[in-house]
Amino acid sequence: MNITEFIENFASQFDDTEPDAFASDTKFKQLDEWSSLTALSIIAMIDDEYNVIIKGNDILNSETIEDLYKIVEKQQ
Amino acid sequence: MSQLTINNVRIAGMSACVPSTVEDNLTLPIYKDEHEAHKVIASTGIERHHKVEPGTTASDLTVKAVEALLENMGWESQDIDCFAYVCTSRDYIAPQTACVLQDRLKLRHDCCVFDLPFGCSGWVYGMSIVGSLMSHGTFKRAILVAAETNTQNRNPRDTAVRPLFGDAATATALEYDPEQSRPMNFMYGVDGSGFEAVWAPYGGMRHPVTHEALEEKEVTPGVFRRGIDMVVNGMDVFGFAIKQPPRSLKELIETFNIDVDSVDLLLLHQANKFIDEKIRKAVKIPAEKTPYCLEEYGNVTSASIPLTMVTRCREQLSGNEKHCVACGFGVGLAWASMEFYAGQVKFSDVIIY
Repeated sequence: MNITEFIENFASQFDDTEPDAFASDTKFKQLDEWSSLTALSIIAMIDDEYNVIIKGNDILNSETIEDLYKIVEKQQ
Repeated sequence: MSQLTINNVRIAGMSACVPSTVEDNLTLPIYKDEHEAHKVIASTGIERHHKVEPGTTASDLTVKAVEALLENMGWESQDIDCFAYVCTSRDYIAPQTACVLQDRLKLRHDCCVFDLPFGCSGWVYGMSIVGSLMSHGTFKRAILVAAETNTQNRNPRDTAVRPLFGDAATATALEYDPEQSRPMNFMYGVDGSGFEAVWAPYGGMRHPVTHEALEEKEVTPGVFRRGIDMVVNGMDVFGFAIKQPPRSLKELIETFNIDVDSVDLLLLHQANKFIDEKIRKAVKIPAEKTPYCLEEYGNVTSASIPLTMVTRCREQLSGNEKHCVACGFGVGLAWASMEFYAGQVKFSDVIIY
């Protein structure tokens, strides 16, 4: 896995936020569109794409997309 | 692997009772605008749910469901050899609710009655427990209730769970019938390390009710709960639900050599559409074989699978035998899958309490 692809996959879970709003240092929970439903989409995407089931705490403890990426990478 | 096969028992009839009050998710006062409400509905598939008035219990709904079942079956309450009550919203801390229901339903004094305090996996577990007792041959007729009043043990200001859960009671009539029955097969699963994913922390012996446990607090922005309210940690439940149920169903399919193409109905616990569709796709069963009733009733925990059968499968299961696979999963964390055949089932109309 690589971070560029992870960011693309991450961004595609959002409907109303432009793709260029996403970078490795994006504080995703501060995005207007972020909600508990988006969190579920992210968990599902990570399962589909990386075969990893992350915990709720992994999302709560991650600030940036890169933080989450590192958690997934470690579990692969 | 814990697996079980039960012979000589069939589902003879089913009934359900739901409260008359309907709460529509589109008009709930918890969303910032209608766009947000539509988004939640689109993702969960849940449009509304039925809700009891305070003071009405799951056992009240149960009495109506069981009376309708008996009448429709032409059975007398005195015919019942075994009565199991799957429910976590019990009437009293003690005794178990099944004892009180023995009297209210005028079951025999020598009837074998008990509570099974399961959540979402409860109907499948209950089928295996009651079915197993019946398979010995001395119990001829049994009733398995799956009932819950989820709206009463969750906080209405818990915006994350209010749109999802509803109230219902269902009754399943089981009959000892070596002639017309086919084997029922079961697989089980549990992971107690995840018990805090869905739990009610206060009110049991570990954390008895205190004044503090009755105080409502804002636990995260916009989400209010008391210590005695049910906590549903959506992200952890979701992570569990997209992993274990597909795995459990695949184990069932493999262990019992099930030809997936021959399955007529996939009956899933009605968690929400997002979760259930992921499970359905993982086991490659077509959408038209996977009925849902969550849009109308929400997640009614253990009553979800039988309510789906009563409200969505009546025509199919009243006719010739159908090949069914079911999976219940949730609080515990506990899950169970089963394979069974059902046909000529007598359904009564859904009773409105």
